Amino acid sequence: MIEFVIFFFFAAVAVIFALVVILHRNAVVGALSLVASFFALAVMYVLLDAPFLAALQVIVYAGAIMVLFLFVIMLLNLGHRREDPTHPVQQFLGFTGAAAFAIAMIYYLAKYAAFRMLPAGPFLSDARSIGVALFESYIFPFEMVSILLLAAIVGALLMSGRAMGQRANIGAEVNR
Amino acid sequence: MPFDATDIVLSIVKIGIVLFMMLNITPIMAWVERRGSALIQDRPGPNRVGPFGLLQAIADAAKFILKEDIIPAQAHKWLYTLAPAFGILPALTTIAVVPWGRPFLLHERTVFGRTIFQGGRWFEPIVADVNVGILVVFALASLSVYGLATAGWASSNKYSMFGGIRASAQMISYELALTLAAVSALLAAGSLRLSDVVWRQTGYFVLFGGLKIPAWNVFSPAMWLSFIIFTVAGFAETNRLPFDFAEADAELVAGYHTEYSSMKFALFFMGEYMAMGTMSALITTLFLGGWDIPWWNEPPTFWGFLASAIFFLIKVAFMMFVFVWVRWTIPRLKYDILMKLGWKFFLPLAIVNILLVAAFIAKGWI
Repeated sequence: MIEFVIFFFFAAVAVIFALVVILHRNAVVGALSLVASFFALAVMYVLLDAPFLAALQVIVYAGAIMVLFLFVIMLLNLGHRREDPTHPVQQFLGFTGAAAFAIAMIYYLAKYAAFRMLPAGPFLSDARSIGVALFESYIFPFEMVSILLLAAIVGALLMSGRAMGQRANIGAEVNR
Repeated sequence: MPFDATDIVLSIVKIGIVLFMMLNITPIMAWVERRGSALIQDRPGPNRVGPFGLLQAIADAAKFILKEDIIPAQAHKWLYTLAPAFGILPALTTIAVVPWGRPFLLHERTVFGRTIFQGGRWFEPIVADVNVGILVVFALASLSVYGLATAGWASSNKYSMFGGIRASAQMISYELALTLAAVSALLAAGSLRLSDVVWRQTGYFVLFGGLKIPAWNVFSPAMWLSFIIFTVAGFAETNRLPFDFAEADAELVAGYHTEYSSMKFALFFMGEYMAMGTMSALITTLFLGGWDIPWWNEPPTFWGFLASAIFFLIKVAFMMFVFVWVRWTIPRLKYDILMKLGWKFFLPLAIVNILLVAAFIAKGWI
């Protein structure tokens, strides 16, 4: 009973803050709302007996990624400028795309996911079992992802390095 | 997990004790900080209100409450008001997963004709003994940056803004070293649960065939580096000198809380000291043996619990004094040096340190 109340409360929190993210015009408010939404999602993981995933959800998404988002938004210092109205074609494509996705989602959930009982028995998601799974069964995809991330880091370094080089050249010209 | 009314009452008692401690850290530490700085700088310090100026904290509190609460016209009103709450929530909640005494057995007894603690029940002096304890700590600690960043942005003031941005950059950078340094203590305990980390440290290292040294992590050579990295990163994480760029007075007026006054400022002030208390409790738990009393096998009774809880408090108080001591001894670094130190020195050092500790554990030397 208590779990039900907690579930519906935090489900509502997650949905409401997710709506604020897309509807609010201020980017900082949007970013903070996304954090709140992630936090409510973490509560869902706790309700599913997966505290490890809940902690990781908060550490990785709310604590690391969204801090960087907020950081960039604050550094860009976006004003309270109103955006230009979008083109009707854009609006049409946006609405139809979203509607099609929603219909597909509801169809999928109704057909495959809903009303199916969860497997009985203990659901193991502690650090040890996840670590063993990652480093035994899924070692190849795991290492592949790490190479992908490395490529992204090298790419970012290359791009920022090139930009810094250009700036140094501009500075040299101004000095001349 | 089934639970009954006794569990709920015990939980409320534990939460009450922890909350009382956390809320009292600020006035006590404000006094210690002022008198400590006076001691170090060879001047009397506040000594007018009460004996040794002990009532100064109450005078300060009254002043905070009575000051006018100003919201700048340019500020984003919602976020400006919410930011102090964002700041204080992680500081108040993180301590929930830290054990603060030896568990003891509550014997069955009859109160008002009702039997409570049927068949005996263990009292675990920890609010939430979750199996991912340290991850909860890092999850909540990583949220504390939002308080500072939001405050800086919502104030619409360039000094606040710089303070907020510096705070977030600093906390992101040092969180990595902090987490990696904590990993070594977790490796040694083989668990993410903080009470397991403490239980592992309750034994002894026996040297030269007879000399018994408490098995606290800080006494094991493999952990010295982790202890130093964790403490330094902890200083950066709590925005204390020599890393207090978020509010560097000389450059930024007062950093992210420049525009704040009255109780809103007091919340930031309290949050800073609570974060310091939590960090001291974490250092104690991970490296200084938690509630373990050396050379004494604490009995599982109320008195064993009380003695260990007091010993835990003494250790935490010592670490907090170290925080004050360092603040008034070491000058502030430059900001670029701080970032370089974090990314180019402490992060690689912490990664190498994990390998070192893992090798020690594999060899069975811990």
